[in-house]
Amino acid sequence: MLMEVRNQIKVIFLSLKYNIMREMTNKITFLSNILFMILNNSSFIIQWVVLFSLKQEIGGYTMKEIILLWGIASGTFGLSKIVFSRAFELSELIMEGKLDTFLVQPKNVFLSAITSETKISAIGDLIYGYICLFVYGVTVKNFVLFTIFLIAGGIITAAFASIVNCASFWIVKGDFFADALSNIMIDFATYPGNIFKEGVKILFYTVIPVGLSNYLPVETIINFNLVNFVWIIGFTGIIVVVAFWVFYKGLKRYSSSNLMNSRI
Amino acid sequence: MNIIEVKNLSKTFKIKEKEKGIKGSIKSIVKPRYKTIKAVNDISFSVEKGEMLAFIGPNGAGKSTTIKMLTGILYPTSGEIMVNGINPAKQRKKLAYKIGTVFGQKEQLWTHLTPYDNFKFFGAIYDIQNNEIEDRIEELSKTFELESFINTPVRNLSLGQRIRCEMVAALIHKPEILFLDEPTIGLDPVVKKNIRKLIRKMNKELGTTIFLTSHDVGDIEKLCKRVIIVNKGKIIMDDTIKNLKSNKPLEDIITEIYQEATI
Ligand SMILES: Nc1ncnc2c1ncn2[C@@H]1O[C@H](COP(=O)(O)OP(=O)(O)OP(=O)(O)O)[C@@H](O)[C@H]1O
Ligand SMILES: [Mg+2]
Repeated sequence: MLMEVRNQIKVIFLSLKYNIMREMTNKITFLSNILFMILNNSSFIIQWVVLFSLKQEIGGYTMKEIILLWGIASGTFGLSKIVFSRAFELSELIMEGKLDTFLVQPKNVFLSAITSETKISAIGDLIYGYICLFVYGVTVKNFVLFTIFLIAGGIITAAFASIVNCASFWIVKGDFFADALSNIMIDFATYPGNIFKEGVKILFYTVIPVGLSNYLPVETIINFNLVNFVWIIGFTGIIVVVAFWVFYKGLKRYSSSNLMNSRI
Repeated sequence: MNIIEVKNLSKTFKIKEKEKGIKGSIKSIVKPRYKTIKAVNDISFSVEKGEMLAFIGPNGAGKSTTIKMLTGILYPTSGEIMVNGINPAKQRKKLAYKIGTVFGQKEQLWTHLTPYDNFKFFGAIYDIQNNEIEDRIEELSKTFELESFINTPVRNLSLGQRIRCEMVAALIHKPEILFLDEPTIGLDPVVKKNIRKLIRKMNKELGTTIFLTSHDVGDIEKLCKRVIIVNKGKIIMDDTIKNLKSNKPLEDIITEIYQEATI
């Protein structure tokens, strides 16, 4: 069992290594991809600077906290797209029969599939996340918490993307459904959690868990609270279990080259 | 000893039918109509260890679907499968160590990597130790004559070179059974001949069981002693090639059987 886990992790890292190696063959494109993403993210801060020149605080946050929020949002998104990029494309893999390759290999199909590609610009997102942390003010405690929350949030984001993408096992237009929900998760990651009404908030702490991947981590770095911390880690565990369960439930319905299904 | 055992195996696909135009689209959402296709319909057969079997039939007969169930890619709708004593639907990973697969129409290799890096990656997938994998790559690249392009990215290789690499990747873990789904599709006669030679050699020296589908009569004739013919999901013949042959060329005999079956 332990050996199996070790070998699986070895394959995941190897896949990550080869993916990054591929992109590095063209160093200029590689670096400009990353740099462009950092610039792209920075441009959004300007919006907030303008907003804060009109209002003192928004949802209880000043510019400082907004920068931390952006750090967490950009970092979690970056990490999930570096390691689990294909969780966001799982629907395509299901519909076009691209899981075949992973099904004949003696490794976990789900993990092998979602880790089989890396989005290079996401490295820029991750770096930008840490730049934000430094601007916010870094201490050893902040740094450790921030890193733990990036890992937890990256996993939550990827697990959520996987779950909604698994819709393609059951419905024909599963990719639209999946993209819509994944985009909500990503779009709302950069807003202060407190600007939303109770009803919406409940949604963000359950069905679309951007609250647990982003809002609560920001709160917990600003004001450490053990209950929140345990809740974030616990939820990460729960959503991972759910993602595996849904995937394997759906896999029984996998039809290899489902492409024909929508065209008759 | 039977290495593959199949009893009353069936697979049905459910397909949503859609009429033309917007009206049809709306109708298919409100009141979807489904059509079921019996891709594989109650087939039973067995394969002996070390055998080279041709599993053939016209387009859409259910060959690929059968291979996909035998290799654990698809769940059967009903029936029983045992491959090397393993149920593919229940112990997929355990089975994966024992089988190799080559799908002529699908790539398993990463096109941006060199064959060498691909093989190293496959080595890790099958938990092969580092020093062992080096030896294995050297040995196989000699047999399959990959030396001159083993460090060229796969996407820059010719089809023939690529298929040879696919074969090596499928053999890296010394599988007991090799499933080949149209492995020679699109290859020129010389490359075809080479591939056949290598398959025969492997079967002879290592006793690897070969399960082959192909539309190329040459593959069947040169490699296999026994042939199973399927049509519309059913087995219509299971015999030795020797019995099938008469004074006519095998190609003509098979064509006739296909034509009769489709009437
Ligand atoms: N994923 C799928 N969804 C729906 N129908 C499918 C699917 N895969 C195969 N079929 C149908 O099942 C039947 C058998 O297909 P299969 O691919 O097994 O045929 P085959 O014998 O391999 O044919 P070929 O010689 O063309 O490769 C066909 O009618 C095909 O349209
Ligand atoms: Mg086929």
